Amino acid sequence: MLAGSGSPVPLQLSDWVFVAENADYLLAGTALTILLSIVCVLVGFLVGFPGGAVAVYGGSVSRRLVENVGVVLRGTPIVVIFFFTYFVFGTPGLDLGFFEISPEFVAAVLGLGLRSAAYQTEMFRGALQSVDDGQLEAARSLGMGKWESVGYVAVPQALRRSVPSFQNEATIVLKDTSVVFAIGLSELLTRSYDLFTRETTATLEVILTISAIYFVLTFVTNRGLDYVESVYRIPGGERA
Amino acid sequence: MRKFTTSRRGYLAAVGTSSLVGLAGCTTGGGGGTEITPGTAPGFPPFEFKNDDNELVGFDIDLLEAVVGETDYTLGSWEELEFSSLIPGLQNDRIDVIAAAMTITEDRDETIDFSDPYYNADQSILVASGGDFSPSSLDDLEGRRLGAQEGTTGESVIQSELIESGQVSESNYNAYGSYVLAVEDLINGNIDAIVIDQPVAQTFASQRDVDIAFTYETGERYGFGVRTDDDDLQEALNSGLATVQDNGTYEEIRNEWFSSA
Repeated sequence: MLAGSGSPVPLQLSDWVFVAENADYLLAGTALTILLSIVCVLVGFLVGFPGGAVAVYGGSVSRRLVENVGVVLRGTPIVVIFFFTYFVFGTPGLDLGFFEISPEFVAAVLGLGLRSAAYQTEMFRGALQSVDDGQLEAARSLGMGKWESVGYVAVPQALRRSVPSFQNEATIVLKDTSVVFAIGLSELLTRSYDLFTRETTATLEVILTISAIYFVLTFVTNRGLDYVESVYRIPGGERA
Repeated sequence: MRKFTTSRRGYLAAVGTSSLVGLAGCTTGGGGGTEITPGTAPGFPPFEFKNDDNELVGFDIDLLEAVVGETDYTLGSWEELEFSSLIPGLQNDRIDVIAAAMTITEDRDETIDFSDPYYNADQSILVASGGDFSPSSLDDLEGRRLGAQEGTTGESVIQSELIESGQVSESNYNAYGSYVLAVEDLINGNIDAIVIDQPVAQTFASQRDVDIAFTYETGERYGFGVRTDDDDLQEALNSGLATVQDNGTYEEIRNEWFSSA
């Protein structure tokens, strides 16, 4: 699109003005993108972390269940997952009394959140497995129960080691929110399409603008998690 | 309906998170029984797109509103989906009628039903202005680099008329998520021609440095999509369509959206 053999697309002042005039429209989409990302990463964590623990320490039946569900969720394109959550299962909206959540939003959170959970399960499985077995044996020898020693000895170490891959997952979810247009949620990318369909000369300006917004969002996410990593790293010990 | 859309859009813009709120009551199964939820895929001017106030407008929007106005049904608020999500949305009751410049094809007719045709879906071939390439028939497109929007009639014309016959190689066809991007590529010289619905081509020809080289008559027609078991709605839409065509409303709407282009 940018490099053409013909005349290049000039960046025009009038098109930047157009973007500026519609800043509120893009910002509303940005808000939805941020909200979706946070909720989906949280759902992914709340389901994925226990999932990872079961995958490492669970019984054979529960382990196989987590593995099989994970294989299906990780092996299915996100649009197909949305088709199931939104069209086939027909997720309902939620009425919180003061606030109504639309069926589209629920379906998006289910789809993106559960897929993220499947990825996070693998992440945490790897991190938990990286904790030496001797540590758990030592905890058991001190009289701690199985899940107690997992919770007090393995989990804190595994969480520290999970931060880099969690960073990665958070940014992936952030960018994948753009797929929710398939089920009718108009987030940042959808709104950029709306804008350059209206003002077709402003395509490049609109795309550059939302790229900058996505960059700021991923940058802030990464720096925030860098900070979390530095706060929780073992003083003087291993950095990971 | 226009007013309703406006207020909903304005409200959502104010709240800031479109579709997060306010859509819960508009899917089917509500108490009214005769309220139907229309679905469309914006980004296809002048049939359906967002105007300067970011409201959903266009020929399909106004026409369906007028047609339903002639029936016992009432129109709920519009669901905006990706074009390829519209048929699943219809089959799974998320929406009740599709108004999205959808061509009546045999394939689609097997999964959903259509109203009577309401528009001729001829295809225009767009080329860059001032270039030396001015085709006058599909045969002139042989060996050229072509573009169209995914899932559209333009794409199927390229596939069935040019690629299958070997005149154009698969690798010389670019599919785009939006015709806007295809036009951008055409102006940049990355492709030689675009196959696109005729009225949409006119919109682009009036806005950008592109010209309609010629128009290819496909004989295809647009229809409103309904579920196969929704015969009542199908009949109501057909009689509504006949009414607006007879009383001049159709002409009015058509002139409003296509005259300036």
